[in-house]
Amino acid sequence: MKPQNDIAIELKNITKEYIIHHEKPTLVEKFYKGREEKFIALNNINLIINKGQKVGIVGLNGSGKTTLLKIIAGITTPTSGSVTTNGRLVSLIDLEAGFHPDLTGEQNIYLNGMLLGMKKHEIQQKLHRIIVYSGLGKFFDACLFTYSEGMKLRLGFSIAIHANPHIFVLDEGLGVGDDNFRQKAKHTLLNNKHTRTIIICTHNLELIEQQCTRIIILDQGSIIRDGGLEVLKSYGRYIT
Amino acid sequence: MNGEGNNKKNKDKQQIHNNKRCVYYSAAPSASQIDNLMYNSAMKRGFTHFLELLLVMTEKELRARYKHTVFGFFWLVANPLLQMLVIGFIFTFFMKEPILHYNYYLFVGLLVWNFFSLSLTKATPSIVFERSLIKKAVFPREVIPLSILLSNVVHFLAALILYVIPVAFLGTLTPMSIVYVLAGLFLLFVFTIGISLLTAALDVRFRDINFFVQALLIIWFYATPIVYSFSVIPYRFIWLWRLNPLTSVVQLLQHGFVGAPLPGPAMLGTNILTTTVICILGVSLFGKESKNFDDWI
Repeated sequence: MKPQNDIAIELKNITKEYIIHHEKPTLVEKFYKGREEKFIALNNINLIINKGQKVGIVGLNGSGKTTLLKIIAGITTPTSGSVTTNGRLVSLIDLEAGFHPDLTGEQNIYLNGMLLGMKKHEIQQKLHRIIVYSGLGKFFDACLFTYSEGMKLRLGFSIAIHANPHIFVLDEGLGVGDDNFRQKAKHTLLNNKHTRTIIICTHNLELIEQQCTRIIILDQGSIIRDGGLEVLKSYGRYIT
Repeated sequence: MNGEGNNKKNKDKQQIHNNKRCVYYSAAPSASQIDNLMYNSAMKRGFTHFLELLLVMTEKELRARYKHTVFGFFWLVANPLLQMLVIGFIFTFFMKEPILHYNYYLFVGLLVWNFFSLSLTKATPSIVFERSLIKKAVFPREVIPLSILLSNVVHFLAALILYVIPVAFLGTLTPMSIVYVLAGLFLLFVFTIGISLLTAALDVRFRDINFFVQALLIIWFYATPIVYSFSVIPYRFIWLWRLNPLTSVVQLLQHGFVGAPLPGPAMLGTNILTTTVICILGVSLFGKESKNFDDWI
């Protein structure tokens, strides 16, 4: 047993630089230009998130929220620093990404579920529950391009939540879902209160207020506040 | 001036926060258990999951290709069949190549070529096309180009089986044929995997690669002994064919099926060497670049 097994995510000295693409780089340009213009999206971030914490990340546009989530999710690698995550991590950074429009809902469940790290037999077992939860009804074997935005969102969320993640990373909340579905999603997220770590990043302060116990405010690639719900008040002042 | 002052203030503020954080976290656990850039979650996924994912992605490729077609998977058989008929009909009339069983000789080369060129043209821009998958989750990025190759392997093998039926009546097949054919296929697959991973990884940063590959394929077709016999190549240019791993592949298959001459040891040796180099280069470059795909698409 590891001594610190209550840690879900640990980030150490994370810095992420992006090269600014003013125009599409071509092979030739690479040679005569040499140095590229850089943009620091995250600047020396240190962060420990314990298991079961519900963390809300807020910040203005361009403050590095999505980059931080992507690094936590492992979708991109930091320029320097190290990331450690414990447990199965599922990220919903782009809710409907990874669906193929020409495949049916059911086929997409398999594809998407496996991309999220589920085993095939696991999906077979959960298939019925995923379909019921998403409320697709008789559309589950229709091609995905016939789905509405809300249906895609519900399907994406349903697959992600049935992957039974220990750590759930969610970007920009559940904006397209209707009230019913949002209630259901909220209920599911709040279940497993002690074991599931949730990281939400959104501009919807209300959602954060209801769901999160820890707030992190990002500004220009750095964490400027980190604390309980009271931090939100200072954020309100900060943006006005 | 004002702005500068504010910036400074902000910086100072950040500094304070940084310090605070450091103090706060210095008591927290550190170093020992954390290896540099280690992703536990990614590493836990085993090889079986990789294979499962590859199969599902391949299935997706195949299903998506024949979706909304009336004949569906029948096209998988119909295409090579039509091609075989056309080649058999036209070339026996017009081409006067001094090659025994010319249309069979030609057809096996074309099958190899179709597999190779289709795989390469589709795999090269595959990462860019599937950017939504890249942005969604962590999974071995290799499955994207490899699933394209695997779906083409299905087509290739289906066509090859159809091809063997008439060839069986020619009397050119020997028990050794199977060895040559398998060796040729092995070389072909290794080379295609290597070069596809290489071009797919490079294409993410340099989209020129896609156009380069398209241009290269046109030349490459004539640089491979598919429509002509290897014996017509002048000796002083033979090094060009030695650089092309497809030469041995095509020759091995042509020998296995219709008894055309085998590749010489020098040809086979250099071809295997090139294949190995390209494959190692492709696999390692793709592995290295795949961590940063998200930054470029």
